[in-house]
Amino acid sequence: MRITIFGYHRRLALVAALGTLLCLAGAPPARAGMADAVKAQTLPNGLRVLVLENHKAPLATFNVFYRVGSRNEQFGKTGLSHLCEHLMFKGTKKLGPEEFSQIIQQNGGEDNAFTESDFTDYFETINKDHLDVPISLEADRMGNFEPKEFDKEKHVVLEERRLRTDDNPEDALDEMVRAQAYVAHPYHWPVIGWFHDVDGLTLADAMAYHKIYYSPQNALIVAVGDFDSDQVLKQISEAFAGIKNGPKPPPVTELEPPQTGTRRVELQHAANLPAFEEAYHVPNLASPDSFALEVASEILSDGQSSRLYKKLVIEKQMVVDIGAGYDMTSFDPGLFIVSAQVRPGIKASDTQVEVEKELAAMRDAPVGAEELQKAKNLEAAQFVFGQDSVMREAEMLGVYEMLGDYHLVDKYLDGIDKVTAADVQRVAKTYLVATNLTEGVLVPTGVLPHGGEELSGGELR
Amino acid sequence: MRGATMRMRMLAGAAAIAALVFAATPSHALEIKKMTLSNGATLLVSEQHQLPMVTVMIEFDAGTRRDPKGKEGLAELTARCLSEGTKDLTAPEFNQKVDFMGSSVGVSAGRDYSTAGMTTLKKYQGETLGLLAGILTEPGLRDDDIERKRAEQVAEIKAAEEQPGYTADVEFTKDLFGDSPYGHPGAGYSDSVAKLTNDDVRGFYHDYYKLGSAIVAVAGDVNPDEVKASLEKQLAGLAGAVTPQAEPPPITVPPGLHVKLINRNVMQANIMMGSSGVERSNPDFYRLKVMNYILGGGGFSSRLVKVVRSAHGLAYSIDSGFEPGKFQGAFTVSLQTKNQSSNEAIDLILQQLREIQEKPVSDAELESAKKFLIGSFPLGIERQSAIASFMVQIEFYGLGLDYADQYPKLIGSVTKDEVLAVAKKYLHPDSMIVVAVANQADAKIKTAELEKTGDATSAQ
Repeated sequence: MRITIFGYHRRLALVAALGTLLCLAGAPPARAGMADAVKAQTLPNGLRVLVLENHKAPLATFNVFYRVGSRNEQFGKTGLSHLCEHLMFKGTKKLGPEEFSQIIQQNGGEDNAFTESDFTDYFETINKDHLDVPISLEADRMGNFEPKEFDKEKHVVLEERRLRTDDNPEDALDEMVRAQAYVAHPYHWPVIGWFHDVDGLTLADAMAYHKIYYSPQNALIVAVGDFDSDQVLKQISEAFAGIKNGPKPPPVTELEPPQTGTRRVELQHAANLPAFEEAYHVPNLASPDSFALEVASEILSDGQSSRLYKKLVIEKQMVVDIGAGYDMTSFDPGLFIVSAQVRPGIKASDTQVEVEKELAAMRDAPVGAEELQKAKNLEAAQFVFGQDSVMREAEMLGVYEMLGDYHLVDKYLDGIDKVTAADVQRVAKTYLVATNLTEGVLVPTGVLPHGGEELSGGELR
Repeated sequence: MRGATMRMRMLAGAAAIAALVFAATPSHALEIKKMTLSNGATLLVSEQHQLPMVTVMIEFDAGTRRDPKGKEGLAELTARCLSEGTKDLTAPEFNQKVDFMGSSVGVSAGRDYSTAGMTTLKKYQGETLGLLAGILTEPGLRDDDIERKRAEQVAEIKAAEEQPGYTADVEFTKDLFGDSPYGHPGAGYSDSVAKLTNDDVRGFYHDYYKLGSAIVAVAGDVNPDEVKASLEKQLAGLAGAVTPQAEPPPITVPPGLHVKLINRNVMQANIMMGSSGVERSNPDFYRLKVMNYILGGGGFSSRLVKVVRSAHGLAYSIDSGFEPGKFQGAFTVSLQTKNQSSNEAIDLILQQLREIQEKPVSDAELESAKKFLIGSFPLGIERQSAIASFMVQIEFYGLGLDYADQYPKLIGSVTKDEVLAVAKKYLHPDSMIVVAVANQADAKIKTAELEKTGDATSAQ
């Protein structure tokens, strides 16, 4: 599942990292008919609730999504959404710091949360007999937020930033590319926030933010698991119906102006190998082109028979690995990203020339029938594999509901099936073009400090 | 392989409609059928009929502990090369066939064993198994493919070495285990891999990929008898068994804190400290599991997180753990903290190691540890891949088919006195290896604790 990179984890600022894109391109969601099994309800205070029975294992997952992420932040206060997520574990009017997680663990459950640019998700996976525990705890921190130990937690978040971004070359590059690709829209800044901004955030900032964005009307609950859905709906209603709304959250109005020429950014960073990241502005699910773009990303980089892998890893042997990724479910139009870490002795620019040849091939000629079918087969298979986890089901329903309607999941594979070779060629010609490109190159400066020596260790005695 | 995470993560997954139809409450935590193939392999099958998919994992005694001295990385390279086609199918042809079905097929090397595996839709089960069997019984192992995978592995090692945590782990492992089978990184070193020959890879395959001593685990929408018949046919060519590896001598760390400081241009010190641990068969395993949960394995319920992260704000991530294997593993504590707080963090860790050796844990700590360890067990065997991997482990380490049912009793019977006893016996706060990858000029690692042992020296 998600949190495997650093061991046990939680409270993650999820910043799309190069390394992530390499192996994990966008995966496909649902088939027609899934939404029929969902029971949906809206409480009088505006809280939306979805429940879905799944009896494959004696477990249940409980998710609370808030429609708030770095997209809702302002210049100078970046990272506030993610810091607020951390503070949600630091106590309420009833509970002390970290008691939330400790109670979940005592009930044999696991809990975590993550912040994205568009939303924040809190979740627990637990034995089906203890689902009442996360229900009451989540209701408590929605209504009775009262975090303690603010300064300490801020330092924890700054440590997280050092770990994930500042000491991680690919993530540092990704941050620069996004900042260059977006000049007006809040996707400009990283989810975790700029270091100095985070350092300056106050408890008052967080309390005001929670009041606006952590209201029932701005939240969505999704529960999936081995339970009786009517009973769970009743439990949720009893726990959450009494929570009052704060002020209505202001809409995000920023619109990214069209890009009219290639943008380039170079990052010098402590690293051994060069790397590059190429980002193209693309539409999201609101556009029918999104399905063709998803298929294009499959053809370019899903599997070892994909075009980029075959050319750059197997034939030319220029990169360590390569990926193309696209997230059609971003709330506002996102980026189609091609990224790679370059092998020792190879120039990033030579590699980029080869990538451009592959993109040009996609613009110049329609993909073959077998290649198109392979992409669709991959989507269909991964759709089934994705159902092997209640957590992933809940996330999927949640994201589509936040985009407007959970029934959208039913249209996904149909949308993929309808994509033609001409569609793929058209979207490649429309979006994967130089005038729409932001390219970032990582220039490795070596991993030693200025004037430092390689290894001062050996056994010191 | 792909999954989903970060920005891309939420695209995956959907509700299991089939699951609604086949709802059932099993009387055991996990039903497993055990059989033997005619070539001697053990077959374990867990029927999972909720989704039309199948996962297979085949264990071979071909883990990285088998790497000969000077040929570190050979087990890993062999595993990677095996995924590059068969005698009849070139790598691109093989890849095309796998991808066209939406299946995944591959081999990877772990420390104790390697695993050949596949995930496929049920409708492609036969064809995918044929491809998996093909790379195992008649692998291509062509010169140009081996050379390509070798260069790729060297590049990946160089990429990994950019991560300070990787370097800390490699150096710690080397210092703790020395020449013993666990003493090197699984991927090897860039210079050892560069020297591996094509015949090294073919020889390793020939010596260690034998089914007579293998474990085959199948989780999915299958009929056990049918899957057995199919495996008998497909895997017929891999007879013979591998001779078990001799157990290495016990690992000990001499008295004192042995510090290795590695200078890097980083904002955070990556610190790994620890000593020898236990083998999986050690009867104290379950007591250690409970003790370590309380010490540093239990996330926000653990003392190390409470003290170092929550109370002092010094780290995002800190944990401790035993890594028991077929042979004696390590005990480690690892964290990342800004360079300047390295000494403070190390001090706090040493204090916690001593405290859990000196005073019994509280009743509340013991109870919550047990409740989590027992209650969360089913969470770890939800997905087919987790079930298959679990079956391989219980067979490899001899835990018994009813392990999922036994586990609550094994954990439940641990007492406070036992926790104290294993903390005293297995933690060695005065005899440890400490590796810190940091900007040493900023970190100035030289704590009072380290000075007391007379064993620390400043970095430069």
